[in-house]
Amino acid sequence: MEEPKRIQVIRIGAEAIVSKLRWNGFDLISKHRVPKPYRIPELDRWIRDKRTIHEAKILVELKRAGVPAPAIILLDRSSSTIYMQYIKGIELKKALHELDPVRIEKIAGKLGEIVGKMHLRRIVHGDLTTSNVILDETEEIYLIDFGLSSVSDDVEELAVDIHLLDRSLESAHHKIRERFMKHFLLGYSKIVGRDRTLEILRKVKEIRMRGRYVKRGG
Amino acid sequence: MAEEKIVLGIESTAHTLGFGIVSTTGKILANVNYVYKPKEGGIHPREAAQHHSMHAARGVMEALRRAGISPERIDGVAFSAGPGMGPCLRVGATLARALALKLNKPLLAVNHGVAHIEIGRLVTGARDPVVLYIAGGNTLITAYLDGRYRIFGETLDIAAGNCLDTFGIEAGIGPMPNPEVKAREGRKIHPLPYKVKGMDVSFSGLLTAALKLLKKGIEVEDVCLSITETVYSMLTETLERALAFTEKKEILLVGGLARSIRLRQMIEAMAKLHDAKVYVVPPEYAGDNGAMIAWTGALQLLSGLVIRVEESGVKPKFRIDEVEVKWRNLNGSK
Repeated sequence: MEEPKRIQVIRIGAEAIVSKLRWNGFDLISKHRVPKPYRIPELDRWIRDKRTIHEAKILVELKRAGVPAPAIILLDRSSSTIYMQYIKGIELKKALHELDPVRIEKIAGKLGEIVGKMHLRRIVHGDLTTSNVILDETEEIYLIDFGLSSVSDDVEELAVDIHLLDRSLESAHHKIRERFMKHFLLGYSKIVGRDRTLEILRKVKEIRMRGRYVKRGG
Repeated sequence: MAEEKIVLGIESTAHTLGFGIVSTTGKILANVNYVYKPKEGGIHPREAAQHHSMHAARGVMEALRRAGISPERIDGVAFSAGPGMGPCLRVGATLARALALKLNKPLLAVNHGVAHIEIGRLVTGARDPVVLYIAGGNTLITAYLDGRYRIFGETLDIAAGNCLDTFGIEAGIGPMPNPEVKAREGRKIHPLPYKVKGMDVSFSGLLTAALKLLKKGIEVEDVCLSITETVYSMLTETLERALAFTEKKEILLVGGLARSIRLRQMIEAMAKLHDAKVYVVPPEYAGDNGAMIAWTGALQLLSGLVIRVEESGVKPKFRIDEVEVKWRNLNGSK
């Protein structure tokens, strides 16, 4: 057995350093939650450890639910690092600028089904933006980065996922936002049902309104 | 080069009744502000509106006196159209309409949040920053993209300032900056709900949990340390995410809470990791003020964003992304 070799740093994200490793002929991803010098050390350690363990648990649960996401290979709590399957592809954020409308509709619908499956299992992604959806060569979709995910029965938490996706489209891809969301929701309701979808959409609207302006006290 | 014009701006969204006189070249000629202070607890919209009505006439005269100009020199009248409290907004709007009609000059309806950003850019020199707008009633992360200030993150419930103010008042030490000052004597940090969802944050659970710690008899200094560190860490982390997402190289802090020393420290430490430059609006222009409305009004005047009196109703829920930011295409500024 050889030691894993880092062959590429994929992303120095806001929260973690994601690297590609080569290990016994396999490609792996390591996600190392780096200490944040701006947080006081105690709080920083607590946040990183909590998130690392949590993310590992969610990845296992997603496998059971049949949601396409990286398989977990190893967890190293001492360094807040998760080793997982490497998925070859590009971020939806980048793909959206190149794809034609028909393919965008198809992808949006498929993403809706995947998110629906995840939500049926009460898993909330927590950072569902177009940067966290990977498209492989066959246009299969994978969800990545469950660093902020949670398990919840609360409709509001599920609605936040939809709200975040919508907002990432609004801020970076506003020209195709409506078309994308329409097909996303069609796929989503196929899995969770029409009534549940409408219930969640009502919450999305509520969150949007609430976020607007809450002025109380000072 | 067009002739320099002068705009009078009126701010009245919440506590502050402000009057600013600014030229279209960015010279701030006057910035006169009257702040309503409630005897206890939070702001009462009707009482604040009353305070504003009382100071309205005096404020206009004082601003003109300080600018050393006569009313005829004014080329446009701007007011804060929202977001804010209806009764307060209407005082400023009514005054602005009356002045615009009397002077026969264009009326300019300004978004309060956009004004915080624009005055920040003017006085700090930031060009194309990711903006953290934090105040008593607002918590937003925004950046300019395709003609508007797009909202990348915001609070899903109460504002950061509101959270810390309410905590301070309930704890008997008073609103910000008192909780931050007390936190300096804190020694032990207690875990509080750290709710970051993408670039959005949530503070209401954290506020409740912090108040519970107090009831349990934890030292107020320690709770202050825990709540401020947690709130600021959340804000810094979401801002870091927005910076990574937008790939911009500047950060601008605006709004009343931009005065926080500890938050600025944290954000500067974060910016270092990304080679980003941090700009902080100076205290004079951090809180609500008249100059920011006048300056944004001046930018709107230059880009033809004027409004007719009949259409000048206030918008208590005015979002910053509703505003077409036409002026950022003018004079080569991005």
